[in-house]
Amino acid sequence: MSDNDMNEREKTAMTEEQIETEDVSDANRGRVISDSTDEADDVLIETGPTAGLDDDKPSRGTGQTIVESRNIDVWYGDDQALRDVSIAIPENEVTAMIGPSGCGKSTFLRCINRMNDLVDICRVEGELTLGGKDVYDENIDPVALRRRVGMVFQKPNPFPKSSRDNVSYGLNVQGIEGDHDEIVERSLKQAALWEEVKDRLDESGLGLSGGQQQRLCIARAIAVDPEVILMDEPASALDPIATSKIEDLIADLAEEYTVVIVTHNMQQAARISHKTAVFLTGGELVEFGSTQKVFENPDSERVEDYITGKFG
Amino acid sequence: MAAGEDAVGRLRRGSGLRFEQLKGRVFEALLIGATLVGIVSLLVLFGYIVFDAVGPLAASPRWYLLYFGTLVTPTAAFTLYARRRPAVRAANARAFAAVFGGVVLSLAVYAVSDALSPYDVFIYLVFGGGPSVSIAVYARKMNDNTFAGPAVPVSMVIGVAVAAGFYDVLRPIIGTVPRWITYIAITTVPVAAITGWFAAREWTTRRGLLTAGVVVAGGFAVAGGALVSGIDPSFWVVLFSGTVVPVAFVVGSTAATNPEGRIGMLGPFVVIGGGLLGAVVERQFGIAGLDSYLTPTLLLNSWDGLNAANAGVYPQIVGSIIIVAFMGIMAIPVGIGAAVYLEEYAPATGWRGRLASLLEINIANLAGVPSVVYGLLGLALFRNTLGFGTGIVVAASGTLGFLILPIVVVSAQEAIRSVPDSRRRASYGMGASRWQTLREVVLPEAVPGVLTGTILALGRAIGETAPLVIIAVATTTYSAPSGLFSSATALPLQIFASAGNAKPEFRTGVVAATAIVLLALMILMNAIAIVVRNRYQKDD
Ligand SMILES: Nc1ncnc2c1ncn2[C@@H]1O[C@H](COP(=O)(O)OP(=O)(O)OP(=O)(O)O)[C@@H](O)[C@H]1O
Ligand SMILES: [Mg+2]
Repeated sequence: MSDNDMNEREKTAMTEEQIETEDVSDANRGRVISDSTDEADDVLIETGPTAGLDDDKPSRGTGQTIVESRNIDVWYGDDQALRDVSIAIPENEVTAMIGPSGCGKSTFLRCINRMNDLVDICRVEGELTLGGKDVYDENIDPVALRRRVGMVFQKPNPFPKSSRDNVSYGLNVQGIEGDHDEIVERSLKQAALWEEVKDRLDESGLGLSGGQQQRLCIARAIAVDPEVILMDEPASALDPIATSKIEDLIADLAEEYTVVIVTHNMQQAARISHKTAVFLTGGELVEFGSTQKVFENPDSERVEDYITGKFG
Repeated sequence: MAAGEDAVGRLRRGSGLRFEQLKGRVFEALLIGATLVGIVSLLVLFGYIVFDAVGPLAASPRWYLLYFGTLVTPTAAFTLYARRRPAVRAANARAFAAVFGGVVLSLAVYAVSDALSPYDVFIYLVFGGGPSVSIAVYARKMNDNTFAGPAVPVSMVIGVAVAAGFYDVLRPIIGTVPRWITYIAITTVPVAAITGWFAAREWTTRRGLLTAGVVVAGGFAVAGGALVSGIDPSFWVVLFSGTVVPVAFVVGSTAATNPEGRIGMLGPFVVIGGGLLGAVVERQFGIAGLDSYLTPTLLLNSWDGLNAANAGVYPQIVGSIIIVAFMGIMAIPVGIGAAVYLEEYAPATGWRGRLASLLEINIANLAGVPSVVYGLLGLALFRNTLGFGTGIVVAASGTLGFLILPIVVVSAQEAIRSVPDSRRRASYGMGASRWQTLREVVLPEAVPGVLTGTILALGRAIGETAPLVIIAVATTTYSAPSGLFSSATALPLQIFASAGNAKPEFRTGVVAATAIVLLALMILMNAIAIVVRNRYQKDD
């Protein structure tokens, strides 16, 4: 009990402490957010869709931590999916998550943008900060959080709308102004899909092949310019050419954004990521460090076995 | 060698496998048999009703020959011609929809407005529809949906309330204009706006305005012509707006966009022309025709319980339409709203979650409660508690509304539930709020299913008899209801009553013909539902 209380007090202290950040103007990021909440600093109770997040842009300097989890435990009902996961994800770098099926990689990604809120039986304990702010604080609006943390899901899930409307969906719901057609084109080009859909932008996104749908979802996620992009096996349904294009895209994205990517492909993790986290069955984070170190000289023997394929 | 033979042997059908396949075939045959029994018994029933209604035995062989020549042969030839040509078929379908849909809708609108008084319809339409449509159009134009969502229904409700409040002031003022002008306002003007909007979308804004202007001018021209010839222009204005304009628009736009299919637009005219020609010849040469009760008399007269040839169900048709329409206006938004709450908002846990699941179970059970019981509910509420007059529209609509409410809720819930969760997750993942997810993702995908369920519920309501009997709706009235608080009757009640008439021609001919009218109303509603649903599905 006293442990819990301690935790609570710590949390409050964290949120009350205003972390100094340099303001990155939205114009730098190539777009204007229509509902300006930048002057919301002196509002005490924040409840709007952008409450609690937009007024506090973290710094862009690399080498800083943007997402940090401390002792995260996740339960689905009585089953524990994550055990005591603590990790510090660096800003503007690619962090890969690897591990056998069912070890909780997707679950951890969903903790970062609070998609787990949508699962009724899911319970998250511990602390997870984005840019120094506790995302599970009650002042944080998950909708505003997800506008800053984009996600590409494990299974492609385009809307039954045209490809154009799929990509501009986030622009519309987030009220992002600007030339939507141009943003759509740029995002589709980045996702290596433009050539294939440019002549049928008004046809349903559901009519695309599985791999095309996945790239459409990537385009949809990057169109709104999130700060952190969570990718859950974005290349699992792609052919080698599209995969290498997506890997290039991820490398590009890392210049400006933070990318967290789940993959079952060891080579891919080694190629594109700066840091690698290895989860093993039971929902433990067994190893986390620079990709080179994890792949060449892991601390844990189990990780070495997993990476070399001795155990799945 | 031996190994090869073995493989072949394994690929041959063993006797066990053969028996399995035989079982499968027998099962399939049984299923086909069950289907056939159902279909054949329905066909026999319909055949029997039609036989009674139109009396085919009375017609001479020459009559059959005549219509075979004028109606059946040209229609069949045209159908054969169109069958292999998709463009022709498409044009044909559009022309049919425009002509028959237009005629039926015009008749229904005229009948209902005439019964309720076009002045009242005008007042409520202007106050309820005017502001909300303007807001919707403005929001569309400005590309700003922030307030349009809530403002449209709210302005509609406020408008209707204001109109009701100031009715006593407004009515005498509106009452000074001639009747036909109100018909121009309630039919020609909206039709002009819609065709103008279509034309503007297809071509240019200027052309859209021009089209709308031409339609309004046409309405006045028709009215002028009627006035000069000394007849009441009202009906002709409605027919012009509801039939001539849509047909002209469809013909015009098809001719422009689908040149190969042009000829297909003749389809409905082949049918109508053949029928008219047959009728003229039949009368000219005195050919013995059908002994039919399904005649204009039935549709246009009011009831005559003594002379079957003179009996009509006009008040019953109008009563049915008004009762069901008002019921829909009340029950459908409530039902869909409840379904959306239960599916999208109600929490799964906690006391509110338990309450919601309790509600859900009860609603599902209510959908199966016999309609007589709903009649008792209506009786208790409208007559015994509120003391409403006997058999008035509001009581009938309200009782039937209770009846269809659970059906609407359950079917709308099912439609909403069929939207995959991955769509919702995708939307939330893009930073959409719950309301945005609902509006942009869930509802558009659920609309076809919701509409289907709703229309099925309306079809159920239009045929209900027992609850109306319980709340003492009259089986026969001699004029259509003049308002929501005037007494009305409905088609099924009249069917029920005439089935008990002492004269045999009522028990066979009139009852069957009235049943066909009721079925036609239902089919019309279903057709509208299917058209709307297909439109939505195409937009995906
Ligand atoms: N919605 C849910 N309800 C109940 N249990 C769940 C749910 N989602 C995940 N789990 C459980 O949590 C554990 C971790 O699942 P998760 O999807 O995070 O695994 P993963 O590492 O992403 O696996 P994969 O590589 O196969 O995608 C699994 O045991 C799974 O059964
Ligand atoms: Mg996963």
